[in-house]
Amino acid sequence: MSCTSNSVFRVSSNPSINLKPSISIETKFNPFHQLPYSSKPTSRFQIKCTIRKIRERLSTVKNTQKIAEAMKLVSAAKVRRAQEAVINGRPFSEALARMLYHINESVQLEDVDVPLASVRTVRKVALVVITGERGLCGGFNNAVIRKAESRIQELQKLGLDCTIISVGKKGNAYFSRRMPSLFVDRFVEGEGFPTVKEAQTIADDVFSLFVSEQVDKVEMLYTKFVSLISSDPVIQTLLPISPKGKVVDAYGNSVDALEDEFFRLTTKEGKLAVERLKVGKRSELELHPLLEFEQDPVQIIDAMMPLYLNSQILRALQESLASEVAARMNAMNNATENAVELNTALTMVYNRKRQSKITEELLEIVAGAEALRPLD
Amino acid sequence: MTLNLCVLTPNRSVWNSEVNGIILPTNNGQIGVLPNHAPTATAVDIGILRIRLNDQWLTMALMGGFARIGNNAITILVNEAERGSDIDPQEAQKTLEIAEANLRKAEGKRQVIEANLALRRARTRVEASNTIS
Repeated sequence: MSCTSNSVFRVSSNPSINLKPSISIETKFNPFHQLPYSSKPTSRFQIKCTIRKIRERLSTVKNTQKIAEAMKLVSAAKVRRAQEAVINGRPFSEALARMLYHINESVQLEDVDVPLASVRTVRKVALVVITGERGLCGGFNNAVIRKAESRIQELQKLGLDCTIISVGKKGNAYFSRRMPSLFVDRFVEGEGFPTVKEAQTIADDVFSLFVSEQVDKVEMLYTKFVSLISSDPVIQTLLPISPKGKVVDAYGNSVDALEDEFFRLTTKEGKLAVERLKVGKRSELELHPLLEFEQDPVQIIDAMMPLYLNSQILRALQESLASEVAARMNAMNNATENAVELNTALTMVYNRKRQSKITEELLEIVAGAEALRPLD
Repeated sequence: MTLNLCVLTPNRSVWNSEVNGIILPTNNGQIGVLPNHAPTATAVDIGILRIRLNDQWLTMALMGGFARIGNNAITILVNEAERGSDIDPQEAQKTLEIAEANLRKAEGKRQVIEANLALRRARTRVEASNTIS
């Protein structure tokens, strides 16, 4: 047996997994192949430790795997709840959008002067940045913060002043570090699921900022839930509201609520999938021709605008939460897979070491027995 | 002939069934709505909605919004709505006191606006939890 004390086991690193030692391809597919003692030119990592240490590492990896898997399942359940919340809010926003549209039709001819729709020359812009509460969600929070930074740079290049309203612990931590150079108006911390109260706080803040003319434009930066795998940070103009009820992106692209689609988590062939359902434009005009306005149409529109503002903010919060939870699900899924791979690698090394130790001891015993045998 | 009342908030539907009549708090005072009311659109103020159901009056605190009265179908869209029976009187009273204190502390146009709104909301909640007639 050409076995020597095997204290060095060379593994080659898989270039697609950063800094994670993995078994060389050879050993993976040919388990009975002789160990590559000769150093492989591509090897970078060595598992150079005792059997005990490997045992400890194995148990650590197993624990981490369990935790990651549990988090994945929890996140999967939360995505469903988040999407249900969006669906529950549908009747409200639909009814509101319809009525806003109708009422605007009947006051087309008059000069409507609504404070929330007043277009002023923009000197100061408020940016509401919605991030997540916790980490372990992949690149989610970073994507939002990067987009916020780039938007702030853009605005500053245009010579506009920028105020930040930060929602979410992760964003708060980041912006509080940037405090002296960046003016932050308020930090909002959410508690679990976005509630109307939270949306109300943000809406009140934004409302008072806009009406007291401290800012001339309010934009909102949140993550739009595109699919379970991808999510997109988008910037949406919150105020001034265009009287038609159309919501416009910072770059002029329409983000109209009337043409919106909403996602639904279903199972397709046993796997989670996202179904997108488009909400068609309601063409039925239920407006009774004799509809009487109890108050001045202006006052009525005045009452509806804050409602619209509130529902927009709440929807953004809900979509952000859904994206964050989906990102966390993906990150935990990857973590679980990595843990499984690491587990396999370590187990292999452990077994090899164990076997070589046994062989060593056997050799010593046999040699000793041979030596003690009476000479014939 | 009964009215169909639908009270919607941004995150759920609070009421969606038939009633005998309602009293709606608007900016111009309270209006009562009985079956076969003329179609009307009105803004709803922060106040108490009284619902008449089988000779019983139920209260609901509304935090401002909009109402549309159609052909025996009323749709009320509000930011927040709480049933009077769901509000804890002590907690509502405490919130009211906090809101009053905040208003006294408020400085500047912005804070005063915010504090006033909060005060009105707190007051409505206290009233809704008290009046069960």
